[in-house]
Amino acid sequence: MRKKFGDKIEGYIFVLPAVIFMLLLIGYPLIYNIVLSFQNVDLSNLGGGDKSFVGFDNYRNVSGEEAFGISIKNTLIYTFASVIFQVIIGFFLATFFSMKFRLAGFLRGIMMISWLIPMTVTALLFKFIMGSSDGIFNQMLLSFNIINEPIGWLSSPDVALWSVIIANIWVGIPFNMLLLSTGLSGLPQDVYESASLDGASWWQKLVHITIPLLRPVIMVVLMLGFIYTFKVFDIVYVMTGGGPINSTEVLSTLAFRYSFTDFDFSLGAAVANVLFLILFAISLVYLRMIKKDEAI
Amino acid sequence: MSNRKNWILSIIGVVIVGAFLFPVYWMIITAFKTQTEIFQTPPTFFPKEFQLDSFITVIQGDVGQYFLNSVIISSLATILVLVLSVPSAYGLARFRIKGVQSMLLVYLVTQMLPATVVLTPLFIVFNNLGLLNTYIAPVLATATLGVPFSVLLLRTFFIGIPKELEEAAKIDGCGRLRAFLQVIVPISLPSIVVCGAISFFFAWGDLIFSITFNRNQDLWPLTAGIFNAVGRYGIEWNNLMAFTTISVLPVIIIFVLLQKHLVEGLVSGSVK
Repeated sequence: MRKKFGDKIEGYIFVLPAVIFMLLLIGYPLIYNIVLSFQNVDLSNLGGGDKSFVGFDNYRNVSGEEAFGISIKNTLIYTFASVIFQVIIGFFLATFFSMKFRLAGFLRGIMMISWLIPMTVTALLFKFIMGSSDGIFNQMLLSFNIINEPIGWLSSPDVALWSVIIANIWVGIPFNMLLLSTGLSGLPQDVYESASLDGASWWQKLVHITIPLLRPVIMVVLMLGFIYTFKVFDIVYVMTGGGPINSTEVLSTLAFRYSFTDFDFSLGAAVANVLFLILFAISLVYLRMIKKDEAI
Repeated sequence: MSNRKNWILSIIGVVIVGAFLFPVYWMIITAFKTQTEIFQTPPTFFPKEFQLDSFITVIQGDVGQYFLNSVIISSLATILVLVLSVPSAYGLARFRIKGVQSMLLVYLVTQMLPATVVLTPLFIVFNNLGLLNTYIAPVLATATLGVPFSVLLLRTFFIGIPKELEEAAKIDGCGRLRAFLQVIVPISLPSIVVCGAISFFFAWGDLIFSITFNRNQDLWPLTAGIFNAVGRYGIEWNNLMAFTTISVLPVIIIFVLLQKHLVEGLVSGSVK
């Protein structure tokens, strides 16, 4: 064992500033947000004045709004569809690039560009690509005779949510691929060699070796994807603003609209809390999962 | 791997990545097209006449100011992140103090938190402190994105550094702080740079904090400017794409410079 290494006060001086910073800027607002959701705060009493306690009124009012139910449904569809496709596509790309051909590392690296570009830029770019009359997406599909008339990617309420999902899948693929690649490179090679000797096909190796061995990594990637996708804001806000007619409204954009378009801060706080509660539950599952893997 | 197979796989790889990054290519070449060429059917996959007018138009607009604001906000946020998180990660890795587990938990949870949850309270707090419509509000808010990521990534790195290094420095008469600054920080520089770059990207990409805390357009970063430009330029997509191309440029440059380190760092910072 080591001798006493440094005294404790010194340790706290190193550690605490960042912790205090996070508690002030995230911890305190988090609690404040819960308080807000039980009050009645709008522009008139924002700076001071009477902020009366209204119990669950905000939650009751919100759950009566049609947009709230729609936004929960949309957030769930958006999250599940995005995560599933990102993981599947990411997985196949990861296995492809794990074949270590000459350009593999370089090509895998530059795919990260889609993840690095600010979401606002991606959203605007896809808005351009998915334009109904002049967008390249429709023009390509029309010229290959895949569709007969232009699709209103962002203008049709039935399609708009899926268009936003497509843009988000594009953003998330490389990141999922990267995490899965790391998992793949950690798999024992001798298992594959003996399977090859036994004459196993590519598909058999995938289903019977790779996926079972990679299960813990896949679970972590799914959970992380869920957590980061569920809080979507920028892509939806810039591409559609929640429209047409609420068809792409998600919890974040709804909370933002209540707070900063209608200036009903308490109503916005209530919606944000619902979002937080769902995420918190998922995060607990995730934390328990990674704690089993290794003591954090 | 045979040479032939190597070639085939490389070609397939180039095709896949080319198709995947087509939107980025489309953004850049649209910026160089004329307004009429954009709406031409069939569309042209390479500009017939390369023109810089779109870039000139947006630069004569207020892209310069937005760019400067983005640089100021992101740089200050990055510095703040590093000043806070490098010592914190070191402390969590090296000192046997109470509450290490719960502090790590604080970072893990805050990393997952949606901006929307803290947005309204922060707006009210910043309003009461008179910080709305200043650079300070978005700097503080965007730094909260980089701190947890950096602490978690750097802590793992610091744990891997042999303690003998600092003890040698101590024998040479260095205090704890000097050993940290003169021994630990220099050998950790690559990881610290990765954290800095990622924190910079986080701040550079922020939209929600900036449009909420700053109603004053003179202080807006590029993202807020882009969002606003949609209304101004309408369907002048060449101008809009010139705008977005300019705002993506710094990110791509940093990425190209640091590519290898970044890719490794991203993995360890996200999973741990």
